[in-house]
Amino acid sequence: MHKLGRGSRDKVQQFMAITGASEKAALQALKASDWHLEGAFDVFYSQPQIAVANTRHLEELYNRYKEPDADMIMVEGISQLCNDLQVDPQDIVMLVISWHMKASTMCEFTRQEFIGGLQSIGVDSIEKLREKLPSLRAELKDDQKFREIYNFAFAWAREKGQKSLALETAIGMWRLLFAERNWPLIDYWCQFLQVRHNKAISRDTWAQLLEFVKTIDPQLTNYDEEGAWPYLIDEFVDYLKENGLVQHRR
Amino acid sequence: MMNGGGGGGQKKRAPRIEPFRHRVETDPKFFDKSWRKLHDAIREIYNHNASGLSFEELYRTAYNMVLNKFAPQLYEKLTENMKEHLEDMRTCIDAAQGGLFLEELQRKWNDHNKALTMIRDILMYMDRTYIPTNKKTPVFDHGLELWRDTIVRSPTIQGRLSDTLLELIHSERTGEVINRGLMRTTTKMLMDLGLSVYQDDFERPFLEVSASFYSGESQQFIECCACGEYLKQAERRLSEESERVSQYLDVKTHEKITAVVVNEMLANHMQRLILMENSGLVNMLVEDRYEDLTRMYTLFNHVPDGLTTIRSVMASHIKDTGKSLVTDPERLKDPVDFVQRLLNMKDKYDNIINVSFSNDKSFLNALNSSFEHFINLNNRSPEFISLFVDDKLRKGVKEANEEDLETVLDKVMMLFRYLQEKDLFEKYYKQHLAKRLLSGRAASDDSERSMLVKLKTECGYQFTSKLEGMFTDLKTSEDTTQGFYASTSSELLADAPTISVQILTTGSWPTQTCNTCNLPPEIVSVSEKFRAYYLGTHNGRRLTWQTNMGHADIKATFGNGSKHELNVSTYQMCVLMLFNSSDVLTYREIEQSTAIPAADLKRCLQSLALVKGKQVLRKEPMSRDIADDDSFFVNDKFTSKLFKVKIGTVAAQKETDPEKLETRQRVEEDRKPQIEAAIVRIMKSRRVLDHNSIMMEVTKQLQPRFMPNPVVIKKRIESLIEREFLERDKTDRKMYRYLA
Repeated sequence: MHKLGRGSRDKVQQFMAITGASEKAALQALKASDWHLEGAFDVFYSQPQIAVANTRHLEELYNRYKEPDADMIMVEGISQLCNDLQVDPQDIVMLVISWHMKASTMCEFTRQEFIGGLQSIGVDSIEKLREKLPSLRAELKDDQKFREIYNFAFAWAREKGQKSLALETAIGMWRLLFAERNWPLIDYWCQFLQVRHNKAISRDTWAQLLEFVKTIDPQLTNYDEEGAWPYLIDEFVDYLKENGLVQHRR
Repeated sequence: MMNGGGGGGQKKRAPRIEPFRHRVETDPKFFDKSWRKLHDAIREIYNHNASGLSFEELYRTAYNMVLNKFAPQLYEKLTENMKEHLEDMRTCIDAAQGGLFLEELQRKWNDHNKALTMIRDILMYMDRTYIPTNKKTPVFDHGLELWRDTIVRSPTIQGRLSDTLLELIHSERTGEVINRGLMRTTTKMLMDLGLSVYQDDFERPFLEVSASFYSGESQQFIECCACGEYLKQAERRLSEESERVSQYLDVKTHEKITAVVVNEMLANHMQRLILMENSGLVNMLVEDRYEDLTRMYTLFNHVPDGLTTIRSVMASHIKDTGKSLVTDPERLKDPVDFVQRLLNMKDKYDNIINVSFSNDKSFLNALNSSFEHFINLNNRSPEFISLFVDDKLRKGVKEANEEDLETVLDKVMMLFRYLQEKDLFEKYYKQHLAKRLLSGRAASDDSERSMLVKLKTECGYQFTSKLEGMFTDLKTSEDTTQGFYASTSSELLADAPTISVQILTTGSWPTQTCNTCNLPPEIVSVSEKFRAYYLGTHNGRRLTWQTNMGHADIKATFGNGSKHELNVSTYQMCVLMLFNSSDVLTYREIEQSTAIPAADLKRCLQSLALVKGKQVLRKEPMSRDIADDDSFFVNDKFTSKLFKVKIGTVAAQKETDPEKLETRQRVEEDRKPQIEAAIVRIMKSRRVLDHNSIMMEVTKQLQPRFMPNPVVIKKRIESLIEREFLERDKTDRKMYRYLA
């Protein structure tokens, strides 16, 4: 903001006041319309999500859920939120919402995360959010989005200050995520991890598993030993073969 | 006649003088007469009656005939005439019986050659003039052609000639004596008639017949002969054929007949011969049959893939023998013997390759890779080789003179080169060297240093720098001890035992956990004085007594009056000194007083009480095992021939299983940072590299020290990704990228 000239700054203020958009969105819209206010409105309203956002409502919403003595929404608040949405806290849609919020840790939302997230979803009330739930769920069907959400989940589900993801949590997340994608080997994978590998999961392993699921077929016919898969996945393949869970490929 | 002119005024014709023409009457009988002369002369020539003829006259006759343009007819008549004579000759030859056939043929051939020479001379003019211009065959060659067509290729003679020659050769092959001179002249005759005559009429059938002969012979021999015998026979046949060629065949046949024998006798039976049970290559190797091996090598050198086959059979055999050697549990009981057997085996094959296989490099390479293969099948090889060296360096020049020791160590270095886990060897060598140095058992400083130099040459400076540090420490310690005694007043040290201190720099020596041990008070006193002295001059250092590594000399007086000087370990010293204040002690009491850990203490007591000839203590009960309540007494009946008695030198022994496990674990741990360092080094220079290439490069870089396990490399890569030294490429998951 400081780099803008006075006139531009005024326009940004005006824009934000009228549309209730964030400063960032305002700047974006104005730049796109070459600093013409009317044009900016067009740009702004033509983006479907932003149409209905209203900052004040969002503030109220935030305050409803936030902790009494901290500037965060924590477990209780989230529980309440899920209640109001009529959604199970374990429902994967909560993950999608967290993704939109760019939440840094599960079971917590900062003010900015909450408000910013809802804005980017394009809702400013519980009812509207509830209406959006199906379309949010549908985002998981999109390959690109699924990948982003999947990779986001790793950092999000981690304990604060940890580099790796605890095994139990990872298994839980995987079950959740791959239920959407219908990976036939998910049960064996979880079984294998519990039996053979009682340690946390690294980021690389997490990311590479998705590739594995996407490219390697469940009978492992196109699995290549020299394929630079993380060793955990190599061990998984061995596990499957040892226990006769896949056909012996020749 | 002169023409006169009539009338007046007519032209006058100049008189012409014309050359005088002899009116030569062309004698219509000229040709016939001339020819008759020549015809008769030729007859006489063929009848061995040439002496009465006049060469000059005959030559002139022919000359005139040619001059008078009768050359074509002359040539024709000549041809006819010679044919007639040849036909006569043929009849004679046909009539010859059996053995006389070749003789007759040869006789007639000589006659014909002689005749031809004379005829050619007579007809020399025609040869020089008519023949070249009309592109006719010169007389001599023509005569040979006529011989060829009329005699050699005549239906009655052609087959007979070939058969006769081949029969004779066959007889000779089966041991009979034949007329070689006759053979020679006959084959020479064929050669003179033209290479194609020799080849078509003799050489080709000869090679065919030889092939079937040797095919038959080889079948026969291979059924009943051992390999060595068979090869002798083949060799014999080859030299026989060589001789045959030089005696009575054309030199060009040599290569061909050799090929036939080689093919029939060797190439066709190669596998069967080399692999023959109880007499083939393996058997020859086992029994060091140099002569047979040399023969086999020389013979199979002629066969395509012959040497390759021998080499690979030898290599498998070495691998198999080696494998059974290194995996035989009996052999593993004695490490020194184990290594000695390996050395013996290497010597054996070095000799064989040197003597019988003309030091063929490819065979030496096969030997090396076979050894490399099986030596690494036993993962204790590095330990055992170190123990072997330890044994030799302890005995030093006592057993073998310096040269021999050097030779043995050089040979051991050959084995060392085969090891894949050189870092494991290094660990053991360090341990064993430490024990040698500290117990004063290194026999020869020169030999120790020589061994270090060999290792340095092989593996580089880093390998031996710590080892050299160990030697340095000892030297420095000597100086320090001297300094201690020089600077400490003699009163203070009056009754104290003399100590010799070795100060070991922690990094250079193998890590040892230090155990508890209560030293006798006399020792404590002087050693603390030393500590004070040392720390006085070396600030900031920490000294820890390694009681499990020292030794002591104790003067002992036994009940029976015998006095001895006992050379014992520190632990043993602690135990023995206790008996200065008690006559009898139970195990429990000893354990309490000395605070030495149980396993070590028990071993120590066993070595003092149960080893024949060294029983300075008596144990009740006499059982091997030590129970808490067992009692120990000084053995007052102790005797020994020697004044100085060495007790239980803790020579380096092969590790117990738990120790083995620990060493291996340590080595594996040490390898991880080395692998990571290699990965980082490679990625730093290449920036971006794919998975397989990294694996290859890392293996290549680390090979001189050990063979990295691919799974471990992978895990290290992942660890580096985790720590953000590397990342996977965004688009190609098989590529890694270096993160600065």
